[in-house]
Amino acid sequence: MSDTLTLDVIGRRVEVNGEHATVRFAGVVPPVAGPWLGVEWDNPERGKHDGSHEGTVYFKCRHPTGGSFIRPKKVNFGIDFLTAVKNRYVLEDELQEDGKEQTVTIGNKPVETIGFDSIMKQQSQLSKLQEVSLRNCAVSCAGEKGGVAEACPNIRNVDLSKNLLSSWDEVMRIADQLRHLEVLNLSENKLKFPSGSAPLTGTFSALKVLVLNRTGITWAEVLRCAAGCPGLEELYLESNQIFISERPTDVLQTIKLLDLSSNQLIDENQLFLIAHLPRLEQLILSDIGISSIHFPDAGIGCKTSMFPSLQYLVVNDNQISQWSFFNELDKLPSLRALSCLRNPLTKDDKDTQTTRQLIIAKIGQLKTLNKCEILPEERWGAELDYRRAFGNEWKKAGGHQDLDKNRLSEEFLAAHPRYQFLCLKYGAPEDGELKRQPLMLKNQLLTLKIKYPHQLDQKVLEKQLPGSMTIQKVKGLLSRLLKVPVSDLLLSYESPEKPGREIELENDLKSLQFYSVENGDCLLVRW
Amino acid sequence: MRECLSIHVGQAGIQIGDACWELYCLEHGIQPDGVVLDSQHNQLENAKTEHTNASFDTFFRETRAGKYVPRALFMDLEPTVIDGIRTGQRRSLFHPEQLLSGKEDAASNYARGRYSVGSEVIDLVLERTRKLAEQCGELQGFLIFRSFGGGTGSGFTSLLMERLTGEYSKKTKLEFSVYPAPRVSTAVVEPYNSVLTTHSTTEHADCTFMVDNEAVYDICHHKLGVERPSYANINRLMVQAVSSITASLRFEGPLNVDLIEFQTNLVPYPRIHFPITTFAPIVSADKAYHERFSVSDITTACFESSNQLVKCDPRLGKYMACCLLYRGDVVPREANAAIAAMKARHSVQFVDWCPTGFKVGINNRPPTVMPGGDLAKAHQALCMLSNTTAIMQAWARLDHKFDLMYSKRAFLHWYIREGMEEAEFLEAREDLAALETDYEEAGQSF
Repeated sequence: MSDTLTLDVIGRRVEVNGEHATVRFAGVVPPVAGPWLGVEWDNPERGKHDGSHEGTVYFKCRHPTGGSFIRPKKVNFGIDFLTAVKNRYVLEDELQEDGKEQTVTIGNKPVETIGFDSIMKQQSQLSKLQEVSLRNCAVSCAGEKGGVAEACPNIRNVDLSKNLLSSWDEVMRIADQLRHLEVLNLSENKLKFPSGSAPLTGTFSALKVLVLNRTGITWAEVLRCAAGCPGLEELYLESNQIFISERPTDVLQTIKLLDLSSNQLIDENQLFLIAHLPRLEQLILSDIGISSIHFPDAGIGCKTSMFPSLQYLVVNDNQISQWSFFNELDKLPSLRALSCLRNPLTKDDKDTQTTRQLIIAKIGQLKTLNKCEILPEERWGAELDYRRAFGNEWKKAGGHQDLDKNRLSEEFLAAHPRYQFLCLKYGAPEDGELKRQPLMLKNQLLTLKIKYPHQLDQKVLEKQLPGSMTIQKVKGLLSRLLKVPVSDLLLSYESPEKPGREIELENDLKSLQFYSVENGDCLLVRW
Repeated sequence: MRECLSIHVGQAGIQIGDACWELYCLEHGIQPDGVVLDSQHNQLENAKTEHTNASFDTFFRETRAGKYVPRALFMDLEPTVIDGIRTGQRRSLFHPEQLLSGKEDAASNYARGRYSVGSEVIDLVLERTRKLAEQCGELQGFLIFRSFGGGTGSGFTSLLMERLTGEYSKKTKLEFSVYPAPRVSTAVVEPYNSVLTTHSTTEHADCTFMVDNEAVYDICHHKLGVERPSYANINRLMVQAVSSITASLRFEGPLNVDLIEFQTNLVPYPRIHFPITTFAPIVSADKAYHERFSVSDITTACFESSNQLVKCDPRLGKYMACCLLYRGDVVPREANAAIAAMKARHSVQFVDWCPTGFKVGINNRPPTVMPGGDLAKAHQALCMLSNTTAIMQAWARLDHKFDLMYSKRAFLHWYIREGMEEAEFLEAREDLAALETDYEEAGQSF
């Protein structure tokens, strides 16, 4: 870099010993002689001051230790795109090779050419390049006009992350020469984005994927840049402090994937502004601090008109703690897959199985949860469990076996919007299912009376027997009690609910349960 | 034209094979019915290699109709799993003769797979193998996919390997084996099957790449955000490693490594041929482009046990040899710099008698990811195969479990009933004990 500094150096991105910075000032700083550059470092603690020296303010920094003065010679202004490509991709061996001599005749004199082979090889190498990675290669400009287009026009995918590009215009100068460019990664470049709408030049006509993570871009700037990318399908905007300020009207209409991770300023109301992108299939909202979501245009059990094509939603690492979040997600018409790991609601390790079941039951058309396919059996089990688990609440809220007589409270409907549907699908829950007794052995014992119709003088006994006891064992017990051989015993029972009706217990191998013997019934023993 | 024949044995082998051929087809632009897309044809014309068809030829055979048929054989002793392939997405990719199934399975019993049930099917399998081999101009070798713990994977593979050595003695045989997971067991008799098969296969296999389900399960769960990884998730990750290993056979590259080179550089003694596989970067698809890994980052990551596809701690052992297979946009200069940095680290210990120990391969085709899969696409990837004495831990674990059961002769009668003798068990166990000693000796200083 020459000593002569011109004012156009201000705003340029530079690198000093691995640290990146932006030039904010160029000139003299008395009392020390010679030209100085005032830079604002990317790392706010790298500098010594905030742009002022001995009382005079030369430039402004955002942090008190964000700035420094440096001699221009120590600063790396970067290289142009083509040089960076050559540095990386041309094998050094080629350059050292003693070229094979080829004879070419001009007139009738042979001309020796040395090294042409290796140069041609070089050039053909570069022209075949399709995927290029120039991360952290100090690229700051496009270079000589047309140079890139001539040497490596077939580049389809270029990673220019963490370089020294200072403005979107410079990026356009590079992209102009790469007519087949489909994927462009500009992460970690602090670019100056266009302030007004730029004329459409067809520069990014083939671009499908644009990565602008950690560039400090704002939403308005996103829309202006996207205006030049008519076929854009994937847009990555991670960690940019984005605040969605307006609804994209003619831009971003072809977007299929939008990554807004780690933009903590986004809240659920801003999501309404991107809710009408017609082709949006994947939305990544990890780590934005969201805790709730609403689709006010749809009532309980209805589908919303927002996010019509959204198939995969990622809400990992957020603040979701209410089940109502998942109730709302059921309103999305096309949602097939969801990832919601590491949220307060889903963090409790003991209950991951229950949580998973509840989410599956709440979102009807979900096919994949947390990257695991939901098989039909799993959905069936989850929905039945859900129906049973909230059955008592449903009854209390006005639920009725006869669905015509249902008058459910608003509260219940809001908390369990799919419950009605589940009743239609599996039938309303019966009382028997809803009785919940702890699974202790004493709850499974049947208290039975034992009568002897032929021996009226015998006392009526009362015994507690488990329902799973087989008739054979019951006979064995009675045989020991009555001192009568087992083979002589004939058992039957009658229920106080149906007096006069006696049911024979003929099959020795079956259990009391099999014959529907219930608590309070009476066993009749004859021999 | 150095063709490779893949043989997939047993449920594990077949399911990994299914994922494997799915990935190969994606990488080569072959549709599920074996036809290459027209746009891919144009790409072939423009590709920088002159031998564009040669890259296909190693793994696919072109029929006169213009279809590409994999050079593979799938076999199992019972039909359920193979029926999955016969009715699955890729049913028109394979010729029916390549999908072999028996009627009675091996029931997780090495003896059935090797002696009783297996012996009835072996001749048919060898015949089909012969047919496939005849279609090759210059067969380089075999890739066998199987598990250690299953009946067919252990028993039948032992039988198959023996007969393959007999018929094709000069050809390389590489194995991709699924080692029984330390804490997640699918069969009680896995230790028996594993020990028996290792004893009989060691002398016939040239190199065995091990993977274990538990390590891959943990990677899927922790790094890829999959709540409960299924075999599908696990296999998709495993085949990325398989693809990296075979990439240089299928694509041209500046530093290519073919099958024989692996052996030469990875196997110091014939019996010490169990390298562990490590893969990097492993990034969830939901976090694509969030972090960029440089060549030195992925090289360092491969020396971390969390990226390993087998559970063992390399810090407790010494490296004997390392094979680094870079894929994608990697220049030789960067690879060398990354390796030099690793060598300087004290945590990576090499045995005294092998100071250099690194073999590097670079293939410019970046790794392909399955659409809708769990992995994010990466510009550069690295698959590292390292022969380390730490793998002894894996054998020790297995031997210990074997000893526990054998001391009580538990479950032994299932094997005796099929015609095996107790002596074979003792022999196998002694062989494994000798293997452990071999590893220990290799790791010792002068």
